[in-house]
Amino acid sequence: MAIKVNRICFSVMTGAAAMLLSACNGLFSSVYDTPDADTGSEFGFVSAATDNNLGKIYIDATDYERWTYINFNDMSIDTLDVNDPEPKKWDIALHRYDAKTNGGSVMEEGALEYVADVWTTNVIVTDMSTMMDGYLSYTESFYNPKLSKWLDVDKSTMPPIYTLSGKRYFVNLGDGREVALRLINFMNESGVKGFLTIEYQFM
Amino acid sequence: MRNTILALALGIAGAGADNVPEEQDSLDARWNTLLNTVVITGTRTPKLLKNSPILTRVLSSSDIKSADATNISDLLQSELPGIEFTYSMNQQVNLNMQGFGGNSVLFLVDGERVAGETLDNIDYNRLNLSNVERIEIVKGGASALYGSNAVGGVINIISKEQSQPWTLNLNGRYGAHNEQRYGAVAGFSKGIFSSATTLQYNHINSYNMKNEGDYTRFYGGYNWNVKERFTVTPFSQLKLTGRLGYYFRQRNAQESTRDRYRGFSGGLRGLYTFSHANDLEVSYSFDQYDKSDYMVLTDKDVRKYSNVQNSVRAIYNHTFAGKHILTVGGDVMRDYLLSYQFENNGHKSQVTADGMAQFDMNFFDNFNIIAGGRYDYFSESSMKHFSSRLSLMYKLNKWNFRGSYSGGFRAPTLKEMYMNFDMAGIFMIYGNPNLKPESSNNFQLSAEYTHRLLNFNIGTFCNLVDNRITTAWDQTLGGQFYNNISRVNIAGVDANVAWKHACGFGSRLSYIYTHEHVRKGEPYTTSTRPHTATLRLNYGRSWNNYRFNIALHGRALSAVTVDEFTSLTDYSETEKVRYPAYTMWRLNVTQGIWRGIDLTLAVDNLFNYVPKYYYSNSPTTTGTTVSVGLSVDVDKFFKK
Repeated sequence: MAIKVNRICFSVMTGAAAMLLSACNGLFSSVYDTPDADTGSEFGFVSAATDNNLGKIYIDATDYERWTYINFNDMSIDTLDVNDPEPKKWDIALHRYDAKTNGGSVMEEGALEYVADVWTTNVIVTDMSTMMDGYLSYTESFYNPKLSKWLDVDKSTMPPIYTLSGKRYFVNLGDGREVALRLINFMNESGVKGFLTIEYQFM
Repeated sequence: MRNTILALALGIAGAGADNVPEEQDSLDARWNTLLNTVVITGTRTPKLLKNSPILTRVLSSSDIKSADATNISDLLQSELPGIEFTYSMNQQVNLNMQGFGGNSVLFLVDGERVAGETLDNIDYNRLNLSNVERIEIVKGGASALYGSNAVGGVINIISKEQSQPWTLNLNGRYGAHNEQRYGAVAGFSKGIFSSATTLQYNHINSYNMKNEGDYTRFYGGYNWNVKERFTVTPFSQLKLTGRLGYYFRQRNAQESTRDRYRGFSGGLRGLYTFSHANDLEVSYSFDQYDKSDYMVLTDKDVRKYSNVQNSVRAIYNHTFAGKHILTVGGDVMRDYLLSYQFENNGHKSQVTADGMAQFDMNFFDNFNIIAGGRYDYFSESSMKHFSSRLSLMYKLNKWNFRGSYSGGFRAPTLKEMYMNFDMAGIFMIYGNPNLKPESSNNFQLSAEYTHRLLNFNIGTFCNLVDNRITTAWDQTLGGQFYNNISRVNIAGVDANVAWKHACGFGSRLSYIYTHEHVRKGEPYTTSTRPHTATLRLNYGRSWNNYRFNIALHGRALSAVTVDEFTSLTDYSETEKVRYPAYTMWRLNVTQGIWRGIDLTLAVDNLFNYVPKYYYSNSPTTTGTTVSVGLSVDVDKFFKK
């Protein structure tokens, strides 16, 4: 009986000592996923659209002071300051989750009419930090209200509630081409918002 | 004397009210049991409740059962006035206990700290109430015994000890918004070994509020809680207690992201009794609390926060002349914090160490003095702090008079020292490594009268709180910065009356008046409601194979007018905002059928209170709701 008791005590003490030594910085880290770091090389046209496959674009739209211009013809992407002139050739441009077209119009999946861009003065936020002084800083720009509905950002609560529409948006590019776009993610692997993954397909 | 109480603490009290024979479970027996309850939190040594100079409120397992609460926040709000759980940003739960926030009230589970926090509050869902023997609440500073965070009080959850050869309880509850709770508690005791295993699952849907407000939707989710607690008594002088726990909670605030929270805990405690006059307790405790984002779109679960606490403690008690108890001890704790709120998602750690001594003097039968002090050291800030306490109790016939001074303090946390967090591009929040510790001087006076089945006590308290830590706008940095503020005074009156009648009727009325004074111009204003009260009326009878209990729980909170800042960056101008009063009532009807089968019907928000506007301190209710619960003690089927 005494030997059995000693064994129990020894086992308990050994288990506790092992736990103490291994647990200083925590246990069970393998429960979690380790996200890949964004190095920049993965941004752009991740895959090209074909007749049978959807294309995929991944962009960093985290900066409030920059537009990201996408050109489907040559599959190029330019990121420019909101005050810079637009590039010579582009099809759509994105600022955070805001979108605009280059003279085109957009129809939401399930709707019947195309909606053109509108000129705005109080939509494209360029500086959130002035919110502490009671106002937001905007830049004037064209903006497509229909395409920008691909992600609803409910700011009535803090933090805002983000809801993807999950719908396709048919963009008439104004030169006879039409591309279908769907926003499938707005975060990177670490969960940082402002990284957009877009599926596209020419109609 | 002390060993008799120790035996009570380990044996009789450990058996729990649910384990006493049925015929003893009358109101009279429960009343006597309550008066003779052994409490430990106020002095860290077992003491009869009626003999403790530290006024302690005990919520027994019967109280917990009667309240039908799932976690500690539900129970405390139901049973105690002066406690309000509200929402802070992102619908995170925030405690206000008589003017003290969640980080100034120390929550313990069997005397051990709980790791992790969100917006200065621990995860109260971790503290579920399965297999809980009792909860001890000590108000006022208690840092002379417990160190940092015991500024406004200590709430200690004491687990049941298994004493029966075997027990098995299965229980479930179903309520509004698809609220589901399922639990199982299995225990056995054989020879030198005993064990209790607890499993609980909770779920509730997200749902919309009925009116506009600071929040318009309650975020649902689910959680799991598994606990194992075992004891080994290899010989009469040595008792080893081990525990393991796992906790998982998911909250569905966003469609694309799920907030996940995990807890891992373990510990081992050894109590060695050298003689009638000497015993030594040595313990090791591990607690880890993680937060992660599960991204639905990519099926990735990424950890963003981990707090790990490893602590070792030794406490030695020596009894002089059979009645004076000297307690000396110390702890060493390593605190590790990994956080998304640190620069580059980094981590910090520090070691804290302390030594404490307490002398419990009983020179006369009717006069008890307890004096104690504790010295704490924190490696990261090289901060040192001394806390002291003096408590007196004088008994005169049916009266107990208590008076105490106690010091409390809260050391700056690693988060408060090193935060470097971008708040959605709007502003930065910076930590401050030069923060001073919060400290409080707490004074209490109370008188308690007990006669037969009546217990009445009234007390007054005053807390002088210096260097409270909060964030304030710093124009130079262009962001929020952790800083100390000038003195806050909190004072009030606390009154309780409890009465039981032999016919089966019982009642308890508790009331607290709290006044919190904050100097104008500080980056903090009070939102503490001045008047709060709770009421419980219950009536129960039992026969051979049938018993019932009806309990009405009421809670009343007065309106409060708050001075709110008109600017987020300047604290000179305020405007008055009035938050409405409300009452909340709950009716529980429990029927006991045959052996160990209890069927509970509960009507929550009995008078259908619906806030016209959902403020962050409004109750999360959409009106009257009903729930049904079933609890089965399987072991009682097989007992004669």
